Parts: sequence; structure tokens; C-alpha cells
Amino acid sequence: MNTYVCRYCRQPSDPSAPTCPLCGAPVDIRSAVSDSGWVEQPPIRDMAEIQFGQSRVQIEGTMVPVAEFALAEQDSIYFSHHVLLWTDPQTRLGNMSMRGGWKRMMAGMPLIMVEAHGPGHLALSDNHAGEVIALPLQHGQRMWVREHRFLGATGNIRYDWEANNVWYDTGEDSQHQDIHYPMGQYGDIFAAQDRPGLLLLHSPGNTFIRDLGQGESLLIQPSALLYRDVSVRAHMHLEYPRNQGFAFWSPRWSYHKVWVRLIGPGRVAVQSVYQPPEDYEAIRNSSYTTVHRW
Amino acid sequence: MTCGAPLDVRDKVSDSGWREAPRLRDMTEFRFSASTCQVEGELVPVAELSLSPQDGVFFEHHVLLWKDESVPLGSMKTAGGMKRTLGGMPLILTVANGPGRVAFSRDAPGELVVLPLHPGMELDVREHAFLLATHSIQYSFVRIKGLANVLHGGSGMFMDRFVTAQYPGLLILHGNGNVLQRTLKPGEKILVEPGGFLYKDSSVAMQAVQLPLRTGMLGQHRMFLAEMTGPGRVGIQSMYVHHHSSE
Repeated sequence: MNTYVCRYCRQPSDPSAPTCPLCGAPVDIRSAVSDSGWVEQPPIRDMAEIQFGQSRVQIEGTMVPVAEFALAEQDSIYFSHHVLLWTDPQTRLGNMSMRGGWKRMMAGMPLIMVEAHGPGHLALSDNHAGEVIALPLQHGQRMWVREHRFLGATGNIRYDWEANNVWYDTGEDSQHQDIHYPMGQYGDIFAAQDRPGLLLLHSPGNTFIRDLGQGESLLIQPSALLYRDVSVRAHMHLEYPRNQGFAFWSPRWSYHKVWVRLIGPGRVAVQSVYQPPEDYEAIRNSSYTTVHRW
Repeated sequence: MTCGAPLDVRDKVSDSGWREAPRLRDMTEFRFSASTCQVEGELVPVAELSLSPQDGVFFEHHVLLWKDESVPLGSMKTAGGMKRTLGGMPLILTVANGPGRVAFSRDAPGELVVLPLHPGMELDVREHAFLLATHSIQYSFVRIKGLANVLHGGSGMFMDRFVTAQYPGLLILHGNGNVLQRTLKPGEKILVEPGGFLYKDSSVAMQAVQLPLRTGMLGQHRMFLAEMTGPGRVGIQSMYVHHHSSE
């Protein structure tokens, strides 16, 4: 009986292979864990292969890696059209339409996914220096992923999306709302349906994962959150420093720090590239938020 | 003439035949003609040349990182000035002659692709991807034919063309992200994201083809890829601007 479990994808795996056949993580390296418990996700080795269904995906390159799929006849994947790098002419491509087109367009999310059916070869890559993260999902497993981090998924993974409900308003009054979504307006939800599936993400920079215990909490930069188990809850937290600097000069100014508080149980992953939210305009209204004034 | 590729590593070829451009080790040094080139750094690499008196290189002026005070700079006028201006290409290329040291880099994470050209070779390169070329290489530019190719091809209006006549030469490109190369057989086709195209042998035909896909609200955007038809080499880069459609 196989008792080896890959420490990155959490699936029973093969310790004799050079890389995990399910997620591509190197098997023969020591775990790099920070003092606070963050585990560095090792980059998938150049040319590592990952098996799914009767097909496989090979990761090429280390700076802006390419995911090259060899699709068997019965397998399919879907992806956002702008990550398609190349394809064989014989690979069958088609549209996969989705609900909520207007909202998705307003939120800057892709309106239409592309489906690719085997047999054939095609390759996907994103436009940032970073890593490809492979997440095998077991039957019934669901995962929240930050918008625009999705690279591709096998056809049996269901794709949905939901509002993050993390926002704040810095408008002058109710007539001039200026709403900010520090985590993005929507998050992608992926769920394996009738059988296991493979989800590929592109993470700008390096990636770190951590397991939160029941009720354990953590504050992170909102845009650094890459994925989380759906059991992990998230809401906004504001910190106001004791010294407000020149913020007294105008009622429109208020120095603060915007965080997202994650509350376990479950796994969370962060990327090392992020965009801090603006921190000087007074917040008029927000989603559920806790506040700390130093 | 060498290209600086490490000799003690395995060839990295994907299952479908894409070969990774050899990653040049930091401080790798190689010779061309009577001069040397050293590649420094790995994230945004720099090509530092030590030019001998009889050698020279040409380049776009904004890729020059530093130079010895003694290195003379000149200009190399190119034909079709108005066309080049309209196409967003530099009107005048800059020339540096030896003796002395001069260094070049582009402003994006990526790889240097060192392409020694033997006599009688022709290579087409995506505009703004070329870092430098030795003076034995003839430079011209070719207009991308067909309105559909210009409008939807994502490679601009022109491509740089580098030709070696009777002497060999050295061409160095900067690819964004990782660079992969594949050799197509006669008649073999591959569809490539136009923004990912980096270089090709001039024997490879390139044209924009429309996919049976619609994107954007109400499907108002069509999706195009560049169809490459062999024989010859095709080089692609994994980081690119997606040109041909929007949401």
C-alpha cells in the first residue's frame, strides 16, 4: 500500500519518481519551511511531466514556464483564450460560454473560455515571470483561486465564480462612489465533479503555502492570496497607525493599512508579487471589516 | 565562432519537439571574429562585448547600457525611412566599432538567444527583439504581407531580416521569458500566438489564420493565430503581449 503523500498537492504519490506524477513537485528535496510555518512551493522542474486521465502536461522553462499538453482523444481542457501560446492544427478548439457575461466584463474577467479536445498538442503560458502551480483536485474537492491566476483545467473540473465581498468605498459622498476591490471583485471556484481533475495556476513570483488550524487567523496583503481551501474564511481588516502624518490636513485623507484576515481551517497559498492597495484616502463604507487603531 | 551554450547539460526537448534555448550561464564568455562576448546576469541578461579594432556591431540605440569612452559610435542609415517611422521601427541603427568595450541589454526579464549565422543564411526576427548583430551581417526589413496579417498578426507591419552573404556573423536576440525553438519539416504547420513569435528562418511562411472562436461581449472579437509552415526553424517566447483580441 502506498503511504507516501506529496507534501505539496496532498495526494498519495510515488516516492520513487523524480517528480510527483500528479503535481510535478520535486520528490527528492528537503522541505523549505520558514520559522513561521510557510512552506515554499518548489518550482516544477524544467521538462517535468504530469499525468492526468490518458493525457499529460509537460512544464517547460523556469522563468515564464510553458505548460505543454499532449491530449488523448477522450480528454479535454479549458482555459482563457489569451494564454494560448501555440497549438497543433488538428487540436479541436471551441468556445465554452459562461453565465454572468455583463458582470464578468465589468469586473475585467474573461467572458469566454476556450475548450480544447484531443487528440493533439497545445501549450499555455501566462505573461509574468513566476511559477506554474499544479493542483490535483480529488472528487468533490473545491478550491478558491484569485482571479486571473487560472491557467488551465481538465474538462471534468467545474468552473464557477463568486463575489469576494471584500471592498471599500473612498468616494466623497453617495453620489461619487469610488469602490475598491483589493482582492479582486470576484474569485474563481473550481470543483472536481465525478472524478479527480487537474487545475493549473500561474503564480507571479514565488509561492508559499501554509495550513491554518481551526480558528487560526492570519493577516495578508489582499492581492497576494493565490488560492485557498473554500473552508478558509476571509474578510477585510484595517489598521490605523498612531501617527497619521499629514492626514489631518484634509478630511479626505486617512492613513491606513488594508489587510485580509484569513481564518482556518484549511490551506492557503500566497504569491510573492502583489500590488498593495492605496492607503491614504479616507474609507467611507466597506464590506464586513474589523478595525484596529494603534 | 561559438554561442556560449553549456556543453555539459542535456538537451531539453519537449515531447512535441520544442527545444529550449540553451540557458547561458552567468559570466559565460564566447568568441566571435577577433572579439569576445560575455553574458552577465540571468534575470535581465547583459551582453558585454570586447571589440577588437577590426570588428563592429550594430543595434537599436536604446539597448546600449554602457560603453568605454573611447568606443566610437556611428549611424547606419536604413532604407525606407518613412515606412519604418510609420511602422514604429527605429529610423537609424547605431554602430559601435572597436577597439573597446560596450554592453547591451533590453528592459524585460528573459533570455539572450545567441545565433551564429553561417554564410548564406536568412533569418526573420520580430521587431524590437534584436539586441545586436555583427557588421558582417546585412540588415534589411521585410513588410508583413497581407492586410489580415498586419491587422491581426500581432507582429506589427515589419520584421527585421538578417542575411549573411559570404562571411559568417553573430546575431543576438532578447526573448521575453523563456525561449523555445522547433524545426518544421517541409509543409509541416504549427499555429502560434502572434505575440509569442520571436524568429524564423525566412523559408518558413507565416500568415494569420482565424480560429473558429469568438471572444469578448457578444462574441464581437475574432481570434487569430500565426500559422507557420515549414521547412525551417521557428523560435517563440513564453512572455508576450496578447495582441489579437480583447475582452
